[in-house]
Amino acid sequence: MGRYILRRLLSVIPTLIGVTLVIFLFQRLIPGDPAVAMLGERATEENIARIREQFGLDRPSFLDRDALAEGNLAGFFDSQYSRYFGRLMRFDLGESIHRRIPVAETLKERFPATLELSLLSMSIALLIGIPAGIASASKRNTALDGVTMVGSLIGVSMPIFWLGIMEIMLFSVFLKWLPTGGRLPTGVEIQSITNLLLLDSLLTGNFAGFVAALKHIILPAVALATIPAAIITRMTRSSMLDVLQEDYIRTATAKGLSLRIVLFRHALKNAFLPVITIIGIQAGTLLAGAVLTETIFSWPGIGKWVYDSILGRDYPIVQGVTLLISIIFLFVNLVVDLSYAILDPRISLE
Amino acid sequence: MEETKFEINGVEDFAVREHRSLWIDAWRRLVANRTAMVGLIVVVLFLLSATFAHFFWDYEPKTDLDYSAKLLPPQLIATEEVDIHLFGTDKLGRDIFRRTIHGGWNSLRVGLVAVSISLLVGGILGLLAGFFESIRMNFWESFILMTLLGFTLGMLPAWIAKQFFQAILFALLGAGSIIFDRYLNGKKKHRLYIFPALGAMLAALPGLMVGPMVALVCGVVGLLIGLLLSKPVGGELFSNIVMRIMDIILSFPSYLLAIAIVAFLGPGLEKGMIAIGVVGIPVYARLARSAVMSVTQKEYVLASHAVGESHSRMLFRHVLPNILSPIIVQATMGLANAILSAAALGFLGLGAIPPEPEWGAMLGDSYKYLSSGAWWAVLFPGLAIMLSVLGFNLLGDGLRDALDPKIRL
Repeated sequence: MGRYILRRLLSVIPTLIGVTLVIFLFQRLIPGDPAVAMLGERATEENIARIREQFGLDRPSFLDRDALAEGNLAGFFDSQYSRYFGRLMRFDLGESIHRRIPVAETLKERFPATLELSLLSMSIALLIGIPAGIASASKRNTALDGVTMVGSLIGVSMPIFWLGIMEIMLFSVFLKWLPTGGRLPTGVEIQSITNLLLLDSLLTGNFAGFVAALKHIILPAVALATIPAAIITRMTRSSMLDVLQEDYIRTATAKGLSLRIVLFRHALKNAFLPVITIIGIQAGTLLAGAVLTETIFSWPGIGKWVYDSILGRDYPIVQGVTLLISIIFLFVNLVVDLSYAILDPRISLE
Repeated sequence: MEETKFEINGVEDFAVREHRSLWIDAWRRLVANRTAMVGLIVVVLFLLSATFAHFFWDYEPKTDLDYSAKLLPPQLIATEEVDIHLFGTDKLGRDIFRRTIHGGWNSLRVGLVAVSISLLVGGILGLLAGFFESIRMNFWESFILMTLLGFTLGMLPAWIAKQFFQAILFALLGAGSIIFDRYLNGKKKHRLYIFPALGAMLAALPGLMVGPMVALVCGVVGLLIGLLLSKPVGGELFSNIVMRIMDIILSFPSYLLAIAIVAFLGPGLEKGMIAIGVVGIPVYARLARSAVMSVTQKEYVLASHAVGESHSRMLFRHVLPNILSPIIVQATMGLANAILSAAALGFLGLGAIPPEPEWGAMLGDSYKYLSSGAWWAVLFPGLAIMLSVLGFNLLGDGLRDALDPKIRL
């Protein structure tokens, strides 16, 4: 097991290097000079040159062949990419070009907001999807099954930004029950421990803060949970249907076990593998879907931040956030693979 | 001849059933599936309304402005002051019904073109990767592969020394490796020395013209390339390279990648199509590859191999027709996804350029005026997105059941 984990971790490295290459390449290819973007159109030539030098923007992208022609081997490898990679190795994500604040610092501040939103959405999706899938499979071809399947198809087809807008329309504009956006109303303070507001407010016993935070998070969380919930429902149902046809299920029923025990002890465990895979894939969808949800609900997470940064050509932010999301995605998939071995002893990892 | 019917437990006897092709069979199963037919009808309605509107219902978005009819709620009966506005009007007094119908042309077109891009590029890559992973390349195929590989790798020293002809030299080296393999097969050991030495020489000598340091670096690079080229690589390497690149694309969240591509290309409908198309490539590549690999294990492919059919005939006559069903299903579902992504890009202001009507962009336009309570301005474009996507999803579900009756989902 230990060896398998190590091998999987090592196999992630080439993919990660590829990811850094692509991220870097994209930021370089996007038209527009960040130095000009930072200083404005009327900046002097000198100032632009100074900024370009300060951020290493005057270096070639990958390799400096002119330096090599002059016999300078070290200069050959001194490029924007090698500098970027070297900084990464020291866990330095660089500085925001516009605001001159280290990317890692803002990331530390904004990432918990996205994490909190994603975790809550995933919990909602699991709480709806798995029971709905089980119920629908065990009552196959009934009205309940039909309603669940139509519901999940509508969920899969839902543009989540539209759902978000309609939620705001109904609950915030017309009913005025919930706020339109943000994470907390002004004036409410929650002492930060983990920066996950719901958790922090519970830990410090701040009940008013908890309610306020919950009121803010519930609409975006529901919008973000829609697609994963629908996909998990469909997957759970089809995987349960497969398992319920097995002989051991018939045996279990024949020996007089209650439906509950057959479903939950015999069927669910075996039906869970494909569901776990889907949950892993959905983790990536959640992080990406955050771009849209956070934009609509003015949620101060990394999704809105990276979108604004792409438009503002703030390379270091885009590079940092995309890298972080890709690492999380790869890591989640590793955990998914490992969980197979725990759930199904027949799968050997060696 | 009189038709005889054999009834066995209510099931028509399979052996005496009239002959039907796979596609007719699938079509009948599809027609019998009520939800799939609902999907088909929705899809056809959307396609027809968009096409008719585009060709027969004039609309000039640039001049469509009427401040006197700003943000009117849906109006079903014409009065003296206002015309009929089935879906109401938006902040510029434009009729939302009209824009939604015309927006369909743009939104559906983005979906169709994007899926075609992913399908073509991903499908061809996956087809070739899967095929050559299970079937050995013949002489000419490896010849082309090695020449291309040599040329691609040779670009590196060529770029460093600013001498383009080096890439051609390395292409020849790659071709040489294959010829060497064919005619001097016994002397395998020498190759491990000859090719790296040749590579180092080909790179370092022209490099000397630029400078000693360039010659040194090019020499080392050439040595490594020579080592790589010394052993002819087969289809597995090709497949590996393709799939590794696909893995890297897949490890990005799709929206983020699409946004990045549009940011690179600049906003616009066509750019959105390309972005969504590129992001979808890996899905089809993976699907096609795995389908091809399972088909090439079948007896009929083995048989065609045994009777000496050409690779292209095998690929197009035996493999391609048998992997179509999963790809058709995926493409239908993919259309649903592409329409969603296109709307998302439009919503973020990266798709259609205003005032061009497009569902996502219409939503993005109107949602800033939410607090005015103009629910109709956001309800209808969003409903159009959802219904069209739902239609394609229903159709895709039905197609899967119809094309592969073994899978029951």
